Amino acid sequence: MPGPGPAPGIGRRRLLRYGAAGASALLATGSLTGCSSRASASDASALNVWDLFQGGDGMLMDDMIRAVSKGSDGFDVDRTILDWGPSYYTKLAMSAAGGRASDVAVLHLSRLAGYAPGGLLDPFDLDLLAEFGVTEKHFTPAVWARTKHEGVVYAIPLDVHPFIVFYDRDAADRAGLLDTEGELAPMGSPKAMLEAGKALAEVTGKSGILFGHVTDTAQNWRQFAALYAQTGAAFTLPDGGPAEIDTDAAVQVVSFMQQLFDGRTNPNNLDYNSALAGFLGGRGGMAMLGEWELPTLRKSGIPLGAAPFPQVFGKPAVYTDSHSYVLPHQSSPDPARRRQAHRYVAEILKQSLTWASAGHIPAYQPVLAEPAYAKLDPQSSYADAGKVAVLDPPNWFAGAASNFQNRMCQPLQSALLGNTSAEKAVRQMVREANTLLRQPNPVA
Amino acid sequence: MSTTASPVRARRLPPRERPGAPMLLGHGRLPRVLAGTALVVLAAVWLLPLVWAVATSVQSEQDVAKPGLSPFKGAFTLDAYQQILERGNVTVWAANSFLVAGLVTLITVAISTLAAYGFSRGGFRGRRLLLTVTVAAVMVPPQLLVVPLFEQMLMFDLVDTYTAMILPQVVAPMMVFILKRFFDGVPRELEDAARLDGASEVRVFLSVVLPLSRPIVAAVSIFVFIGAWNNFMWPFIVTNDPGLMTLPVGLATVKDAFGIQYAQAMASALLAALPLVVVFLLFQRRIVSSVATTGLGGA
Amino acid sequence: MTTTTPVGAPAPTGERPPVVSPRRRTGRRGPGPLFVLPFAVPFVLFLVWPVLQGIWMSFTDSSLALRDTSFVGLDNYAEAFGDPDVWSSLGNTVLFTAASSVPLVLVALAMALLVHSGLAGQWAWRLSFFVPYLLPVTVVTLIWTWLYQPDVGLGNELLGALGLEPVGWLSDESVAMWSVAALTVWWTVGFNFLLYLAALQSLPTVFDEAAALDGAGAWRRLWSVTLPQLRRTTVLVAMLQILASLKVFDQIYILTKGGPNGSTRPILEYVYDVGFTGYRLGYASAVSYVFFALVIVVSLAQLRLFRQED
Repeated sequence: MPGPGPAPGIGRRRLLRYGAAGASALLATGSLTGCSSRASASDASALNVWDLFQGGDGMLMDDMIRAVSKGSDGFDVDRTILDWGPSYYTKLAMSAAGGRASDVAVLHLSRLAGYAPGGLLDPFDLDLLAEFGVTEKHFTPAVWARTKHEGVVYAIPLDVHPFIVFYDRDAADRAGLLDTEGELAPMGSPKAMLEAGKALAEVTGKSGILFGHVTDTAQNWRQFAALYAQTGAAFTLPDGGPAEIDTDAAVQVVSFMQQLFDGRTNPNNLDYNSALAGFLGGRGGMAMLGEWELPTLRKSGIPLGAAPFPQVFGKPAVYTDSHSYVLPHQSSPDPARRRQAHRYVAEILKQSLTWASAGHIPAYQPVLAEPAYAKLDPQSSYADAGKVAVLDPPNWFAGAASNFQNRMCQPLQSALLGNTSAEKAVRQMVREANTLLRQPNPVA
Repeated sequence: MSTTASPVRARRLPPRERPGAPMLLGHGRLPRVLAGTALVVLAAVWLLPLVWAVATSVQSEQDVAKPGLSPFKGAFTLDAYQQILERGNVTVWAANSFLVAGLVTLITVAISTLAAYGFSRGGFRGRRLLLTVTVAAVMVPPQLLVVPLFEQMLMFDLVDTYTAMILPQVVAPMMVFILKRFFDGVPRELEDAARLDGASEVRVFLSVVLPLSRPIVAAVSIFVFIGAWNNFMWPFIVTNDPGLMTLPVGLATVKDAFGIQYAQAMASALLAALPLVVVFLLFQRRIVSSVATTGLGGA
Repeated sequence: MTTTTPVGAPAPTGERPPVVSPRRRTGRRGPGPLFVLPFAVPFVLFLVWPVLQGIWMSFTDSSLALRDTSFVGLDNYAEAFGDPDVWSSLGNTVLFTAASSVPLVLVALAMALLVHSGLAGQWAWRLSFFVPYLLPVTVVTLIWTWLYQPDVGLGNELLGALGLEPVGWLSDESVAMWSVAALTVWWTVGFNFLLYLAALQSLPTVFDEAAALDGAGAWRRLWSVTLPQLRRTTVLVAMLQILASLKVFDQIYILTKGGPNGSTRPILEYVYDVGFTGYRLGYASAVSYVFFALVIVVSLAQLRLFRQED
């Protein structure tokens, strides 16, 4: 029969006591300092930065961070990369709600309406930014207008990444589509684009214009949004109220899309990767893609030309989005770190020529004006897209990686595949927009 | 287990059959061969993913991306492991996992054994009510609570802290229930004797009751530790700062500038698997028996 | 697990010590409420309170964004019952439960029977089947993402070697849930396997021996003697398995994020999507409690079934 032994009892008690003491000491501090973290307020230059750049973009961002970390007043950056998509935005929101978010984060400008009104971002100090060489006049008005909520600036754009056209310069030349400078001549009407498609198809012997959209959750919306904006009609989604969409203009746009991608001259059933592969393999003279595909396309050896999305209707407009820097909400921000955050944003912006090599248009105009940028081919060909940039409607449910874009794509895909008429597709789009509008707004 | 000795039966027993084991297979060679083959095949299938992961982790990224059925496509190299460890994230996350799982286990076992003993012995007011609520709470899935718990952490300003990760995990009504059942089965004579000798209640508990309970406390500790180490959902929801993340959360959330590189992914996966596999190898017997005792209470 | 039955301590006869402890005088013996307190406080704080707060939140439009909350009555519940995504994710959850629970019970039983038959190398089998259970979910999803990789992953390499077309394991809507189920079976069968093994090892051998004496072959004995004795265990294992499957979140979220196109999204992930991605914590609470009601119903039904087995 085991007798009560004093040793095990005391041992356990001691363990518990020390364990509790150690635990409470640890819990009082912040996170374990493995990488530089916010725990050390004395080390005011350590900055936490969040972004969603992987692949080519990810490596370029590494280069830019390395560039701003050099030297005696270089930064000590602790970079965290999360997957592109809704999961990034969820984590950003949750960390901002918790008030212990990173110092700086990347945000698509089209997503601002889901963050700024809800108090999840802290505003920029424009005077501080000016001290470091960044002011309003360094950005195009079209883009700057989208950085504000109720007149306060919450985002500083790094780039503008529009939906453009890439084309085979030789094919376009033989099709008679180039102007005297060897760039894509303006089209100016729906007929001109239809003709361009036919000409390219003849020249290549295959297809004219390639556009991948099947099962894609954004492509169709990008195309539609660009063309619709060109008609000059407004696409407004007022809170709670019915969507204000000019259905005539919308039907005109969708019909044009159906005409353009008729399945003969230009295929209508490609998915994103097939369109890309088709253009790389010379099976089409022109492709409608995001400029971020530039690095991939360059590897193909095709004589590559690029241009902003051609103006087909009344006014010029290019659908785009913008990676921008924001200050996620912190409940007790350290002024020294905030200052560093502003300086960091300014310095990275000045490095954005590096960023342009991936195809992005630097939002910071002084970089755009550099002679080195003008030498970038074909980026310099579509640099003006920033002036006529059109983003998603400023609603909390819209923006990059949002449900809104996905839902808009579904009826458009049906229309292009010939499964529904332009009118029905537009009606469906309006219904989807109204469904989203009817949802209670969790941000305002 | 008994076997009645019978000369006839003894002669028919195949020599390798363990005495007392049910003669599931019978006496022919065929059933044994079939069963043996089935077992080997099944085990091979089950080990295959791990073997594949190990093979991938010790090759270069270029070799790994080559097509082909064999897992060994290139030279042996520990580059993937080196790169993972150099980056430093995995070591931080492992340290966090040890800290969080360790504290959760310590606190949970401490308060659960105390409470189970109190429930089992104490005749204080409200015991019945509290016990009923505790047992009913076993039916509440922890995943149900993530939304209000997060809201609570927002209210207490505890999002992105160790406290927020650890404290909700120390509530284990199932363990209290299991331990109480155990204590119910321990006769009170020893405790009463100690009380008669003037020992305080705490002394009685620590010196008399706990030593008797070593096996079950060990089983509960191991079970809680494994659960805490592997816990994903709550730590995932309440931590956004990568410096705080535990291994499962960090590996699932934080990515690389390059994009997914499979040799490194497998290396990090195996490093993350290592601690609990080591724990298993050390405490195999305990773990297996703890599954039978605590596991029967609910997964 | 050892319990010793100590010889009863000899009761003091004759004189009692003159000083009697106060506890004894009041007739109160035992640990008292202070022992339960260290558990009761966190229990109330982190279980009872959130349960109640969750109910309260489900009647409000509580949001993740920092803004005021207002009472909305039963609106959230009305919306939940009419929300097609709630129903589709419940459907996905049920599909997952069925697709994974059946093999998780049958395969575990087969493994336990094979291992129990006494072949050599016990620890090797136990290790192979149980080690996956110890792995954190992220390790499992990392490994299986690699196995399911469309170009050079083991899955499609095997199919190619057999002359079959590659499969979009995680990108094909009709396949994705089965891929998740396969991963889950690999991951968690070890637990059920050990439960079955423990049950088999505790079965009395008498019946089996008697049947063997009567000339019954191995299959016959398995079918008529062993399996019927395992019925209670099977019910238990199935019950645990079904309840656990209903609560699935981790591996599906990490592996497919509920995709492609929401075809693998279980109800708990919908709660996450609506509450944290969509900011609507109040609505997410309502959906959680609808789910909780389902879990209670299933639990109670299973409890009744289990009692009937006795």
